[in-house]
Amino acid sequence: MSAQGIAGAPAGAAREPEQPILQAEALSKSFQVRSEARFGRKHPVTVLDEISLSVRRGESFGLVGESGCGKSTLARCLLRLLDLSGGRVLFEGVDLASLDRDQLRALRRRMQFVFQDPFASLDPRMSAGAIVEEPLLIHGIGDHDERRRATLEMLGEVGLTEEQAGRRPHAFSGGQRQRIGIARAFVLRPEVVILDEPISALDVSVQAQVLNLLRRLQEQFGLTYVFISHDLAAAEYFCDRVAVLYLGQVMELADRATLFHRPLHPYSVSLLSAVPVPTAGGRRRRASRPQLIGEIGSVEERPAGCPFEPRCPVGRGRDICRAERPAITQPADGHLVACHFPGELAVGGGGASAS
Amino acid sequence: MDPFALSVRNLSTVYETPGGVVHAVRDVSFDLRQTERLGVVGESGSGKSALALSILGLIDPPGRVTGGEIELAGRDIAKLSDRQLGAVRGKEIALVLQDPMSALDPVKTIGSQIIEAIAVHEPELRRSAARKRAAELLREVDIAQADRRLDDYPHQYSGGMRQRVAIAIAIANNPRVLIADEPTTALDVTTQAQVLSLLDRLVEEYRAAVILITHNLGIVSEFCDSVAVMYAGRFVESSGVDHIFMAPTHPYSEALLKCVPNPERLADGPLPAITGFPPDLSRLPTGCSFAPRCPLGREVARCHEEAPRRYEVTGPAGPATVECHFAERRIPAVSA
Repeated sequence: MSAQGIAGAPAGAAREPEQPILQAEALSKSFQVRSEARFGRKHPVTVLDEISLSVRRGESFGLVGESGCGKSTLARCLLRLLDLSGGRVLFEGVDLASLDRDQLRALRRRMQFVFQDPFASLDPRMSAGAIVEEPLLIHGIGDHDERRRATLEMLGEVGLTEEQAGRRPHAFSGGQRQRIGIARAFVLRPEVVILDEPISALDVSVQAQVLNLLRRLQEQFGLTYVFISHDLAAAEYFCDRVAVLYLGQVMELADRATLFHRPLHPYSVSLLSAVPVPTAGGRRRRASRPQLIGEIGSVEERPAGCPFEPRCPVGRGRDICRAERPAITQPADGHLVACHFPGELAVGGGGASAS
Repeated sequence: MDPFALSVRNLSTVYETPGGVVHAVRDVSFDLRQTERLGVVGESGSGKSALALSILGLIDPPGRVTGGEIELAGRDIAKLSDRQLGAVRGKEIALVLQDPMSALDPVKTIGSQIIEAIAVHEPELRRSAARKRAAELLREVDIAQADRRLDDYPHQYSGGMRQRVAIAIAIANNPRVLIADEPTTALDVTTQAQVLSLLDRLVEEYRAAVILITHNLGIVSEFCDSVAVMYAGRFVESSGVDHIFMAPTHPYSEALLKCVPNPERLADGPLPAITGFPPDLSRLPTGCSFAPRCPLGREVARCHEEAPRRYEVTGPAGPATVECHFAERRIPAVSA
């Protein structure tokens, strides 16, 4: 089975204009937070700030960024597991906010979630089979025999046997547990699956197995993935298009080749060049590489201008970057960037895939 | 010739469990020069962490170090009593763990925890002097406003900052050897790069040697001088760092490298994952422990019958020690 067709197709190639399967329009999310600085009073903190993006049917769409950038919150908003504070989420062009409870529930069947931590996300008292069967029960699908058949078939798809279906999560390795989590998400035959750091808790050798499995299932079922990751090499390997988030805003969005080889935003460039590459000569490579200063800022003290300005090798201290939030521009078809000085910082090491 | 900062000879550790004797570390030997950075890589369950704990004398029952010598600056610390070892641990050899949250006490301030680490080995130091030293250490690991932040609690620090505090505690007493067990695994790439340059600086300033345990081969390439690949409790290949990337000689080393996602090989189809699982360390196969999963040795009788000896080979990037019957044939003749 080849990865062509899904990942091998040249991203950004001319295709029929098609309705995106999932869209965010100016999506915003704020939480009420109590802070000491305000004597324990609650005040709203904006975690996602007017995010717009669209996910095409059949693609793997990556959301990358450092922890705290809002990627997991965005994923939850896309599935309406969290309510929005502003903007809209559309599934096949239909505003999720316009749906009543039953309609939303029916739609949830078509959108599933795979979580990062296969230890925390599986109920330790249930058998693997029961865990995978549960979504069918919740959605009232099939009778006892049909559910059992569907469960075993799905477990088989992810490489687990009928005999293993009776075991509880603790009897499985991390990689096998993640397979159970995948089987549970896929048993409803969803159309969109959000993969929230699906491999970061796993060993390298197991990561490869899980990525291969996800690829195969995507081809087999014609799935659309939203792949959330702080592992840029995995995102580059896995995704067709990628959005880079910083403090709840989209900094840059492009197809894989463009983003990883010709990024324009200084944040994308900094993030990509920080990825250690497993090839010879690494010590010299790291020594010659500029290093990003500071840590991701706080959404509670969001700068008035560009959120990345305080750390930016290009814009730090520049008046316009401090004062004005950059508008999103489109330097090329399908390539979006929010920066006053796009392209000023060039990629040194050639991105995560330099070899 | 400088004496080694650390010399480990024939170290073996077992865990006696109801299911049998688990051989976690098997006959591991290596030397670590001053300021050398050794990367130890392998899958979970390969014995990496058990090796770290064995060197530090932190193996608790049912675990037991069954043999070997651990020479730290000329002294065999494997023979020391717990009390004597307590004086060495944290002072001459220190440990940094993956999850700094579990290493830090959530109900004590950052400052009091650093002061505690200093006071263990310098009980006569006055509190004000210890506090001053603690603030220096925080500055040393790049925590801004160190004096003020001494009074914060761990939850008020970010993950990257907590890891830097753990490093500050580890270096509080100028150790000769620092063992870092997956110190950057929970961190973002940018924070990871900062922690690595912090470790760089410590090696240079304190002349410490570092054992970096990780499963990230990119970090090994960019931080380490030498590397040991661990499988089923043994060092199956050890060499200078570039050897493993230019001429991985043990089939396991090669397999480990190949399963790192490489976007350049997208069109080649699925990632070459290693099939099967690491062996049960209480029921080790007779021959090479990698044989059942090995693309070269799976069908070879000798690999299943006879444990490979250590072969010394020389590749394009220098010498390597490899435990594989095919070692010499895998390195094409290289003029020495």
